[in-house]
Amino acid sequence: MDEMTRVIFRNFPTWMQVMFYAVAFATIAFFLYGFWLRYKKYRKGRDSGRFNNVAGRFFKALGKMTTNSTVMKRDAYAGVAHWMIFWGFIVLLIGTAIVAIDHDFLHLIFGIQILKGTFYLWFSLFMDLFGVLFIVGLFMMLFRRGRKPDKLDYTRVDRDPEEYNRKGFATDDRIFTWLLIVIAITGFFIEATRIAADGFPEFEKWSFAGYALATLIDSVGALNPIHMAIWWIHGVIVLVFIAYIPYSKAMHMLVDFANLMFTEDDAVQNLPRVTEEKMKEGMGYLKLQDFTWKELMDFDSCTKCGRCHVACPAKNSGAPLSPRDLILDMRTYADSTIGKSEWFGQTFSANGNGKAKKEPLIAGDVIKTETLWSCTTCMACVEACPVGIEHLTTIVNLRRTLVDEGDMEDMLQDALMNIGDYGNSFGKPERMRAKWTKDLDFKIKDARKEEVEYLWFVGDYASFDARMQDMTRKVATIFNKIGLDFGILYEGEKNAGNDVRRIGEEGLYEMLAEDNIAAFEEAQFKEIFTTDPHSFNTIKNEYPDFGGEYTIHHYTGLLCKLIDEGKLKVSDKLKGVKVTYHDPCYLGRYNGETSAPRKLLEAVGVELVEMPRNKENSFCCGAGGGRIWMDDSGLEERPSEMRIKEALSLGDIQYFIIACPKDYAMYSDAVKTSGNEGKIAVRDIIELIEEAL
Amino acid sequence: MNIIVPIKQVPDLVEELEIDSSGKALDTEWLKYKVNEFDDHALEEALLQKEENGGTVTAIAIDGDDIDKALYAAAAKGADRVIKITGLGDNPSNHEAARAMANAIQGIDYDMIFTGVQAVDDRDGQMAILMAHYLSLPHVSVVTSVEVSGGTATVQKEYSGGVIAEFEVQLPAVMGIQAASETPRYVPVARVRRAMRGTDLEEVSAGDVSVGGSTEVNRMFKPESGQGAEMISGSTEDIASKIVSLIKG
Repeated sequence: MDEMTRVIFRNFPTWMQVMFYAVAFATIAFFLYGFWLRYKKYRKGRDSGRFNNVAGRFFKALGKMTTNSTVMKRDAYAGVAHWMIFWGFIVLLIGTAIVAIDHDFLHLIFGIQILKGTFYLWFSLFMDLFGVLFIVGLFMMLFRRGRKPDKLDYTRVDRDPEEYNRKGFATDDRIFTWLLIVIAITGFFIEATRIAADGFPEFEKWSFAGYALATLIDSVGALNPIHMAIWWIHGVIVLVFIAYIPYSKAMHMLVDFANLMFTEDDAVQNLPRVTEEKMKEGMGYLKLQDFTWKELMDFDSCTKCGRCHVACPAKNSGAPLSPRDLILDMRTYADSTIGKSEWFGQTFSANGNGKAKKEPLIAGDVIKTETLWSCTTCMACVEACPVGIEHLTTIVNLRRTLVDEGDMEDMLQDALMNIGDYGNSFGKPERMRAKWTKDLDFKIKDARKEEVEYLWFVGDYASFDARMQDMTRKVATIFNKIGLDFGILYEGEKNAGNDVRRIGEEGLYEMLAEDNIAAFEEAQFKEIFTTDPHSFNTIKNEYPDFGGEYTIHHYTGLLCKLIDEGKLKVSDKLKGVKVTYHDPCYLGRYNGETSAPRKLLEAVGVELVEMPRNKENSFCCGAGGGRIWMDDSGLEERPSEMRIKEALSLGDIQYFIIACPKDYAMYSDAVKTSGNEGKIAVRDIIELIEEAL
Repeated sequence: MNIIVPIKQVPDLVEELEIDSSGKALDTEWLKYKVNEFDDHALEEALLQKEENGGTVTAIAIDGDDIDKALYAAAAKGADRVIKITGLGDNPSNHEAARAMANAIQGIDYDMIFTGVQAVDDRDGQMAILMAHYLSLPHVSVVTSVEVSGGTATVQKEYSGGVIAEFEVQLPAVMGIQAASETPRYVPVARVRRAMRGTDLEEVSAGDVSVGGSTEVNRMFKPESGQGAEMISGSTEDIASKIVSLIKG
């Protein structure tokens, strides 16, 4: 059986072997240099506090990487193709490593050989199998790119064509794919010429692809010199590829594993605080050294897959923001200032607002002011990103800079001033906060004066917006009817600050969080509930950092709990009614609560027809992150109107069900402004409960 | 270009106003105060001038409710000095206040004084005029634009009916600002907190503020509704006869 092997450096004179090793070592040195450049670059960032639980992080990232689960998500075609390329690459890499260990180490030093016999047969089979998968995957990707999907369109939404040049991106894509294709194909040709030149040994049939190819080229003749020529072509291209990795898109193989490892599941649910020092010298990011190393790594991790680009409500509504482009612009800027690593990149003019007299401002020139203000903080980008980029921490930190410089529109400024002066964005006196309770035929307990089981954090929109107050009273009436022991804070409550924080007004946010926590501390209650997913998010995820740890429920979750406990009894009265449900960003995507509202819909008997984008993939109404206080008249089409159309595309749907006060305002308007009045009715989930009681 | 900006706190009109038991003033117990909107514009215009032409901005105010907060906010926005005038009693008249301001800015080098064209609490609109008088300086009121060149300023004043007049004023001068050329800026809370820690809030005594006279409120009240109106309807003749009978009593 000993003859069942192959000869490494078949027919190669010694000088040729030595030459190969010399070139190979030089290549590896060049690779390591590029790697070191990157490392040096990230070291310039601030600490991100992400070195806890390194082993746990490693295995979690390993799981994502080996299954390609984040790439598969909602794009099975790209996922499968990527999986084939990924595993093709890994198996071929391991195979080559086995050859190297066997030949250069075991054989040269210990005089033994493992790559022979049965092991060699299985080795051959696996290498050929994954080599074929590798090529198929690459061609699938080429085919996909050839069909020009929106995701892979590099056209910018925020700059005119003459303001930028992205040919480098396309060049890099081509180089990357074609280098791998040529490497794989030449690999098979080496194998085929060897098998043919060796006279088709029977055991080489295990190398099924190479053997088949050998039968095709057998008639060519001069197989030995051809073998050597192809070997060199293959070898040189492999070395070129290795050298190319750290300076190109191929680096994602390494950086993105690290990025997945150091990403945090609640990175944007619980935004980073501004340090005391930063608060003193001006919050926000002014220079690249203000970014954390994780954020700098985010910029380099992007593979331009475009999932965030097509998911973003701002981009889809014609606003000058694409999360992909924001990250890529930051990469280009970082490359030009703290360490170049990308060979084939883009160029763009960084004088966004004409303020760039000397150094361009990161918030304002590199990333335009209007780009930063376009974000709804819906988190669709972060959720869609397969490689753990946290676009939102960068956006919010740059917004903090804009806020510090007062660079914002008047409407937003008024809202912030109102929140600062009166604790609500409506500019209404504090004592008017509970005015909605006047029309109730019972009195809601004042949790500041008497003990209650549940403290209801009502929130601004539910308290002040005339369109919402009816819903708020319905919630109160139902909970009162079933005897739930609850109370409110009356004028003691203030805006929870979720969106104030995402605007970047961290000082005001801290004040609001501290004031609300102080009010909570004075009240007597066991748990909190709210109808507002925005308040829910910040109280649940961010108040703990300010010393306020509470159990908080969204009303959908609480209603479910009460049904389970038998305290709330609903019938399936609404059988036959067709509805669709819109997951609020801050409930579904931010906090993973997608089942409670659906359980409620099931309980009342309606037939739920899901929109194409549902649950974690829900599409933002456009109101988050302070957008509700900004002018949206410049948009081509409002996200809320697009969403209504999405619902109408489902056919005959009676109700568009929401579970967020802002959604009620946004979608009631959108039904009217999109000219669909009478075709679909926006209803709060509480109304269905009321009918089914 | 050094600019002095006298500012004032006024009741926040978001709250419902109550008249106190004397019947001559507002009940201040539940009042919230905020910077007079026109003064906010005066400060903004001063800061814009400073950004364009250099120099300093000094915000100055008579001691009163929440005045420290207003001065710190002015510092946070970019005022270089903030001064509080102490030693005046509650509710000094505008004559006294103007005298006190004129006293307090002696020794400060300035080219212009910007103050709000009026304040919402007294609708007196005389602060700029009185200061100009006490300081013997030229004055322009209802100013919406200021362009400085050398020792003069070209200012625009809004007339009624959408007409604008342009004046050239020798500096130093006092201006009653109607509106800044940009919306008054937002000052982030962090900056205010920073200003509260790092700003030296200067205090000066009001000095001699004896003035010849001033106005006094006789009575303060909310509009009293009348008896209501009766609409006369019917045919022309009916209406005419009804009017006749009403006149005859």
